[in-house]
Amino acid sequence: MTDTVALDPNRHVPGLTRPGFRQTVHAEWIKFWSVRSTAWSVIAMLVLGAGLTTLICATNAEWLASSEADESPGSFITFGMTFAQVTAIVLGTLTITTEYGTGMIRATLAATPRRGQVLAAKAVVLVGTLFVAGTVTAFAGYLGGNVFLDREGIGLALSDDGVLRSMVGSGLYMAGLGLLAAAVGLLVRHTAAALSIVLALVFVVGTMVVLLPGAWGEWTSKLMPGNAGAGVATPVSFNPYLLDPWTGFAVFCAEVAAVLLVGHLAFRRRDA
Amino acid sequence: MIEARGLTKKYGARTAVDGISFTVGPGRVTGFLGPNGAGKSTTMRMVLGLDRPTAGSVTVNGRHYAGSPAPLREVGALLEARALHPGRSARDHLRWLAASNAIPARRVDEVLDQVGLTDVAGQRVGRFSLGMGQRLGIAVALLGDPPVVVLDEPVNGLDPEGIRWVRRLARTLAEQGRTVFLSSHLMSEMALTADHLVVIGRGRVLADCTMSQFIAEHAASYVRLRSPQRTEVAGLLTREGLDVTAVDDELRVQGRDAAAVGELVGRGGLLLHELTLVSSSLEDAFMTLTASSVEYATRTETTAGAPR
Repeated sequence: MTDTVALDPNRHVPGLTRPGFRQTVHAEWIKFWSVRSTAWSVIAMLVLGAGLTTLICATNAEWLASSEADESPGSFITFGMTFAQVTAIVLGTLTITTEYGTGMIRATLAATPRRGQVLAAKAVVLVGTLFVAGTVTAFAGYLGGNVFLDREGIGLALSDDGVLRSMVGSGLYMAGLGLLAAAVGLLVRHTAAALSIVLALVFVVGTMVVLLPGAWGEWTSKLMPGNAGAGVATPVSFNPYLLDPWTGFAVFCAEVAAVLLVGHLAFRRRDA
Repeated sequence: MIEARGLTKKYGARTAVDGISFTVGPGRVTGFLGPNGAGKSTTMRMVLGLDRPTAGSVTVNGRHYAGSPAPLREVGALLEARALHPGRSARDHLRWLAASNAIPARRVDEVLDQVGLTDVAGQRVGRFSLGMGQRLGIAVALLGDPPVVVLDEPVNGLDPEGIRWVRRLARTLAEQGRTVFLSSHLMSEMALTADHLVVIGRGRVLADCTMSQFIAEHAASYVRLRSPQRTEVAGLLTREGLDVTAVDDELRVQGRDAAAVGELVGRGGLLLHELTLVSSSLEDAFMTLTASSVEYATRTETTAGAPR
């Protein structure tokens, strides 16, 4: 064959850089924000997270200020994040599973055959978005809820113990949850299945294991991802049986990393 | 140039592609023909590094697809028109693809224009008809202005005008010196577009030749004769070195056209009742060639479901 077309991927656009990780992240960023579910999930997080925190503070401020109160205002100031978790899980799951549901994963991998690079880019976009959205949501909830706490003279200052940490911690926890959901999505490749697994793990199993007898129950409960990771996202937890915030978050990160590693291996081995 | 060597893909016990080897050269349209379930799409997925071969290898321009730094600028592919998120607009779909391979953003508008989707570029692709989805898929394939173009069943869902457009496009791309690899299960479609044919059935290569060779070998015509002096006519033509077969009450003669055969018989002073040129269609030839694999495909669909 003498008349082969010269192999030069740059021939049409002189001086163009070889695409790398930055281009993959850019592509994933466009993909992420060009479907409506992303904006809706972020709005839902903000409304649920900040709205419910404000609501619960408004309705409980008087009781919290009274002598009957047996909970700390610090537990209430991030209350809505418990529900906002769902949106982070949904967003993380959809990032992966819609690609399999629609067959888009083939277009993605044809454009970027290096699968590790695709996964890393998706993680960067997801983590970045959820960290910012989670932190903003927690902060909005703090501002909204604190209005009512202040009115009863039990308002929290940002400089109070754990308040600022819980704002940033909320962002970190949402980002971690999103990654966990994405990793499960990689393993099961099906939206409903992945959502059920992660929601059950965080909301059902996480609260049920405490029923295991004795120290078993206490430790399994402390180590469940939803419990280990949530401590960092609130100044004072409702649940007294938690690891220290940052210790718990480290455990949570390790768990997310483990599932992500397994998901990554499956992603690399399987046919698209 | 696409080169497959001993390419094999097994899904459990089922062999989808069974050690096939072929070369798709530049400057021509190579048709990849086979009945549904013959292994065409599996082969094309392996070309693009989406499915990992069980054995053998396939390279594009001398290297594995995944080794390309910017694959969309080397190989443009239409795999499935529906490999799209229904909620994303056509333009956004092309935008992220362009971004991933550092293709200048202006190419997005160029290919939209080229496939005639400019007016609907902002619409969500979930609302697209099958034909529009197919056009978008072709736009994706052309986005990186690649020297190799792979199109899996490109005319599916297109109206007659769209089908003619795809034919012209494939021819034009080949004339520009590109490698064009086009799959179809329609022989008639291939006859109009392809210069070279790779026919597969049941995961094996049944024919790999130019279109004219294929026509000469598989769609051979013959002259049908009826005569009250059948034996004498057969004897005469055989002595002239022609290939004569008796089928029922007719004779089938190969090697000369109808006029030449008629003259021979006339010069021999024998009677003729019928003299007809019969040419079997390419479609017939294809059906005969792939008959066993069609049976196979039908059987697996009904018993085992459609394996992906």
